[in-house]
Amino acid sequence: MPPRSSSKKKTVPANAGSTDDHSSASSKAKTKKDQIDQLFDSYANSSIQMIDPEGIEALCSDLGVDYTDVRILMFAWKLKAEKQGYFTLDEWRTGLKALGVNTLSELKKALPELESEVRTPPNFADFYSFAFRYCLTEEKQKTVDIESICELLNLVLGSQFQPQVDLLIQYLKFQSDYKVITLDQWMNFLRFCNEISFPDLGNYDSTAAWPLILDYFVEWVKQKA
Amino acid sequence: MVLHKFGEKLYSGLVATMTFHLKEICSSIEAAQGGLFLEELNRKWADHNKALQMIRDILMYMDRTFIPSAHKTPVHELGLNLWRDVVIHSSKIQTRLLDTLLELIQGERSGEVINRGLMRNITKMLMDLGSSVYQDDFEKQFLESSADFYRLESQEFIESCDCGEYLKKAERRLNEEIERVSHYLDAKSEAKITNVVEKELIESHMQRLVHMENSGLVNMIVGDKYEDLGRMYSLFRRVASGLVLIRDVMTSYIRETGKQLVTDLERLKDPVDFVQRLLDIKDKYDKIIGSAFSNDKTFQNALNSSFEYFINLNSRSPEYISLFVDDKLRKGLKGVSEEDVEIILDKVMMLFRYLQEKDVFEKYYKQHLAKRLLSGKTVSDDAERSLIVKLKTECGYQFTSKLEGMFTDMKTSEDTMQGFYANVGADLGDGPTLSVQVLTTGSWPTQPINTCNLPTEILSICEKFRNYYLGTHTGRRLTWQTNMGTADLKATFGKGQKHELNVSTYQMCVLMLFNNTDRLTYREIEQAAEIPASDLKRCLQSLACVKGKNVLRKEPMSKDIADSDAFFFNDKFTSKFFKVKIGTVVAQRESEPENQETRQRVEEDRKPQIEAAIVRIMKARRVLDHNNIVTEVTKQLQSRFLPNPVVIKKRIESLIEREFLERDKGDRKLYRYLA
Repeated sequence: MPPRSSSKKKTVPANAGSTDDHSSASSKAKTKKDQIDQLFDSYANSSIQMIDPEGIEALCSDLGVDYTDVRILMFAWKLKAEKQGYFTLDEWRTGLKALGVNTLSELKKALPELESEVRTPPNFADFYSFAFRYCLTEEKQKTVDIESICELLNLVLGSQFQPQVDLLIQYLKFQSDYKVITLDQWMNFLRFCNEISFPDLGNYDSTAAWPLILDYFVEWVKQKA
Repeated sequence: MVLHKFGEKLYSGLVATMTFHLKEICSSIEAAQGGLFLEELNRKWADHNKALQMIRDILMYMDRTFIPSAHKTPVHELGLNLWRDVVIHSSKIQTRLLDTLLELIQGERSGEVINRGLMRNITKMLMDLGSSVYQDDFEKQFLESSADFYRLESQEFIESCDCGEYLKKAERRLNEEIERVSHYLDAKSEAKITNVVEKELIESHMQRLVHMENSGLVNMIVGDKYEDLGRMYSLFRRVASGLVLIRDVMTSYIRETGKQLVTDLERLKDPVDFVQRLLDIKDKYDKIIGSAFSNDKTFQNALNSSFEYFINLNSRSPEYISLFVDDKLRKGLKGVSEEDVEIILDKVMMLFRYLQEKDVFEKYYKQHLAKRLLSGKTVSDDAERSLIVKLKTECGYQFTSKLEGMFTDMKTSEDTMQGFYANVGADLGDGPTLSVQVLTTGSWPTQPINTCNLPTEILSICEKFRNYYLGTHTGRRLTWQTNMGTADLKATFGKGQKHELNVSTYQMCVLMLFNNTDRLTYREIEQAAEIPASDLKRCLQSLACVKGKNVLRKEPMSKDIADSDAFFFNDKFTSKFFKVKIGTVVAQRESEPENQETRQRVEEDRKPQIEAAIVRIMKARRVLDHNNIVTEVTKQLQSRFLPNPVVIKKRIESLIEREFLERDKGDRKLYRYLA
């Protein structure tokens, strides 16, 4: 039995001389922070001090995930990212800490957990709302164009409500009353999928407080039948 | 005998004796032949009563002492009972009595004369014997056989008579029966026999009567047959759901004819005639309900709801009613007395109340009023004001504040003109006389501002006015509305005939061009006058293509204006009148595209009103569900128009976007007011 070799121990704290716990803990934390920061730096665009779309793409390929994958959106949600396509250092730190990961491989392992976390109902509504707001790229922008909405619907709701989403996307592309969608209408799409029986739409009440666009959608679906 | 305790013996003796005696009477009655039967019965009954009186008197002691204590029937009553049991209910008499009575009644119904006194005595006898005797031995059968009789007779009538005749016959029969009862039947029979008649003669044939071809209800209405209608009303009233039947048939007929009227494209070409027809229909039915249906409220209500229904079927009704008013106020009320004016205006208000889209009416009314005021073409200022007051009473201050503003502007302008001439008059010399109406922009219908080159003479005086006005009213801006003005021109034609031409401002600009030249092409006119093409073309048409008003001559003579057309001053113009009116400022029924435009503007105007209502409601209630919001909004706006629920929903969404409202996070049916 080979003796436990001290050389196989993990790295020694930087300030080897120090003995009190506080500093060793904080140094441990500092190291972790450094790791996180280092990871950030490896993807960031140094001129703007942020990870830009290119960096995100690189991150994605390292994670083995397509950059249009919904999990990246979930990641952005966890980071509470404000600007689409960009992560700031603060956001990065917040996110990785919340995930409890420091390295790329840990992050990769944490993704499935993240996904199930997002899909639990209270979180999902929040995530769903985030997804819309994440698309508001211009200052004072309040609506998102139809094309983007369709993509977003598929991305965010596709796995859970594929038939509804398909039909809704078909309608959105077909109609011409609305060129953009508001947050109010967006939130009600989720509510619609959750509450209305499909495909008969039997319990839909057009005299209730549904947005007009959904009244029209239901009419259109019923006419097609 | 009673005193000696022989009461029982006396009593039973009495019973036996009377019974024996009555049996004899019975046989004698039975023996009576034919018509004498009743008489015999009657006589014997009278005798019996007299006898009973005496017996009672004689046996009074027994009556008072023995009988109560022995619980026996009192003498008088005993006498009656015995009569009943022995005589009336005797097998031979009972049926014969009934049959005889019924035969006589039947005979009387067929026109025979019977002895009513005798009848009365007999029925009284039955009543005296007990009302159950009367009912069982007479009345029941009487009612049954009457029912059979009338059933047959009504069938006969209905096959052979028209509605009016049938009703007369039914009424007659009904009155007969009532009279019969009063003469020789018990009063309580009246309700029962009338029920029978009502059922057989009226109720069973109600439907058929009302719908009878060529004589039924509708015919009576069309022919204003008040007497027949009145009769039908009073007869049907007696039967459950009789009036409902009349009312329903009348209502659907009114709705049908009303609907036809408002969708009749030919009729709709003349709005004034159309509205007059509406008023005539209303008058007709008012008269029918008044004279034949005794002003029955339910009928009035049915009439009102029918009118409301079909007037609103045509979305142009508001416009037409306004045109009708315009016609009346412009010339229709000339020479009409004040009271009659009020009557006509009240009728107009009545039609106005039926309108669902009162805001559309307001829009048109404003337009037409503007034209009337500006062309000075109103027959009576008092009538105008009276109508505004009525509208204000009906709809509130907001409805009429702008209209009143228009009147105020007219008055103020008069004063301004006086001031103008007082101050500047001396400098004006021989130029044209100017009369300006200064219109406050918010009160008058919005007009597009068009270009127009005014003739120099006009321009200079206009400038002088502008300076004068702005001198006394700083901070205001004046814009000439060249498409709304009029002008009076003195023109001299070929053979020296002079005429005074009353024209629009545009027409004036065009005509003045001919002071310098005799011939102008369309293009030249367009360039010189700078009037927009469509207005200019209309203007030229009115000057050159209308018989009797063709102060210009056009080559070629076609109705349409082509760019290359040439116009000449028409030296050969003649007219019977010295003053010739060519102006085109009269209110007219809108063309289809104009109508669409107005409708769009109305829809646009409604949006903020709906939003204001939503905000008001939500501010008060804080939280409310969708359906209730729709109901409340509709209620709030019902005096102006009926909001479309889809539009309400759109407005709510718009308010959500602008963060006045939000959807409640808990209950998704609710909306919440955001302070």
